[in-house]
Amino acid sequence: MADKLFVIGIGGTGMRCLESFVHLCAIGMFDNQEINVLTLDTDATNGNLERVRKLIGLYSDIKSGATKDGGTPNHNTFFSAKLNLYGFNTDYNSTSRSTYRNISRLTEGESSKQNKMLSDLFLDNNSVQEFNLAHGYRAQTHLGSHLMYHGIIEAARNLAAGGDVSSAERDLDEFIQKISKAGEEARVFIFGSVFGGTGASSIPVIPTALSDAMKVRSQGKSPLDVTKVKFGSTLLTEYFSFKKPDQAEMSTKANSVIADSSFFPLNSQAALQFYQGDPTVQNVYKRLYHVGWPLESKSMDKNNPNKTITGGATQKNPCHFVELVCACAAFDFFNADNLKAEGKAEYLFRTGEFENGAFNFKASDLVGNQKNIDERLIDKLGAFLSLAHITLTKNEAGFGNKGFAGLRKQLEQNNVDSYSTVTDKELDQLDEYMRLFGYNFDSSNNFQSGWIYQVRESLQPGNFIFANAAFSKSIKDLKDLDVGKLYEDENYHWEKGGVFSDTYQTFVKSLTKLSLDDGAHLVNHTKEKFIAHLHDGIMASQSNR
Amino acid sequence: MNNYILLPIVGIAMLLLAALISNIIKFEGGANPKDPGKRRFVFWLFFLLNPAIAYAVGLLTSPESGIKKTQHMDSLPVGLAIGVVVYLLIGFVISKVMKTSKVGHWF
Repeated sequence: MADKLFVIGIGGTGMRCLESFVHLCAIGMFDNQEINVLTLDTDATNGNLERVRKLIGLYSDIKSGATKDGGTPNHNTFFSAKLNLYGFNTDYNSTSRSTYRNISRLTEGESSKQNKMLSDLFLDNNSVQEFNLAHGYRAQTHLGSHLMYHGIIEAARNLAAGGDVSSAERDLDEFIQKISKAGEEARVFIFGSVFGGTGASSIPVIPTALSDAMKVRSQGKSPLDVTKVKFGSTLLTEYFSFKKPDQAEMSTKANSVIADSSFFPLNSQAALQFYQGDPTVQNVYKRLYHVGWPLESKSMDKNNPNKTITGGATQKNPCHFVELVCACAAFDFFNADNLKAEGKAEYLFRTGEFENGAFNFKASDLVGNQKNIDERLIDKLGAFLSLAHITLTKNEAGFGNKGFAGLRKQLEQNNVDSYSTVTDKELDQLDEYMRLFGYNFDSSNNFQSGWIYQVRESLQPGNFIFANAAFSKSIKDLKDLDVGKLYEDENYHWEKGGVFSDTYQTFVKSLTKLSLDDGAHLVNHTKEKFIAHLHDGIMASQSNR
Repeated sequence: MNNYILLPIVGIAMLLLAALISNIIKFEGGANPKDPGKRRFVFWLFFLLNPAIAYAVGLLTSPESGIKKTQHMDSLPVGLAIGVVVYLLIGFVISKVMKTSKVGHWF
């Protein structure tokens, strides 16, 4: 596929969808691809933003060789896609920019009276125009759309004027320039929710904002025709809730508006009606993926039951299955053969089997089954989960030890010593990624769920591909875990390789016997070769089933 | 069968037993896996047991009396030595040829 790929994650929910997307890249679903990623938020301190940027930074470090440039795309291995990370956040930190009233400077200029009247018509004078913007738009999407557009155009004007520009503005500029350069070959996928926050505000205006920003930036010389660029997005409706704010919390002007999750279903309904009927959206977006969670919304109040979190570093919601569904929507969008730039938007959805109060999802429910893509997802995700348990459980990285160093030692003890130049720091980075993906025990010996464990927890009592044993949490169960028997369907289990053997033995034997074909994997440096070797060892173990 | 043939066969049998037990010993994960050391121990244990077992076999297969017994007992030390050398030599070759397998840990 020749098209250039771009992903924009907007707001807290967008960041969590992006997190799932990064893990899909890590398992190898985006072979040979270079993907440009923009994180877009109003709240630079948002916990979910920080988490995904750390994850992408770690991913790029893992892929990097000596030049620390994020590596190159590989084929048929883990971490095969190259990710280029950019970040832009609107700046509402200083007093002059902390509220709508301040940033819009309504009382200044010749049209101040008309501006004030127009603002008062759409935005409540005492609350919406006065609340602190630092934690985002707080479900005020009418305000958010206006301000997000303004933020992007303001950045473009600053860049066009030259002088002192921030790194965020430079990042945004580079990202937009790449889209413009790609033109008709650009596929841009946007992650965000529609039930109230920054995503809901931004999804409708992003294509126009990028186009107008390019116009400003190039002074009209290099326009970005958004009807030629292929845009896609998730329409993710409400799936979590949090404590309703009380009057005491809303007593100050800065907190005169706090999002109320009881309105999320209504917000979602209104948003979907908008996306169904708006001609601009229909002409610019090519595919819109409607993703929803039909069960009761998950409460996010576990850690802060007495306070409504408005944003900031404490907004760090756990991962949810719907975010993986959104990441798979991006996969579908990027791999669609019949995507046309012309014509109106397609609205897509999928369903899953639901029985006795629980879901039973299959891989085909997420990615379809054309060209056996569902089997590929099963194999890749299963392989990475097996590698996670091999390093975290068998080689004890989940218990504070060095899992990948243990694997390398295993190879060296079997006279495969090609990877001695991979440094301890590089191996530690791989361990750290696995902990974020799988699990770890903290310094107090408490179990901490990583991404895939959190996704699984959000589904319970439902199922998705893997057996319950694959998500063991007790030390005893983890010690007994068989790394090649993680699937619900026993047909996918690895062969044991002998009466006294287990599947870990199968893996080590496969690992030590195979020789790596560098050319087939397009790998360049020793660390990439090590990762590809581990990948092939697991694939060989899978093929023995 | 004379000791020049029998005792080397005993040596080979001991080697096969050492290889079987080495293959049963599982690969261990973790920071300090002990399985290569265990396999080396098994190899050298059988190396030490080999002459004792071979001597016992030599005694058990000895004719009861006469010149054949004398010849049998005279060839016992040489047969033992050949058996030990065969064990070491074949063990070394197998370990190097199959260096990525479990017996590769012997040397």
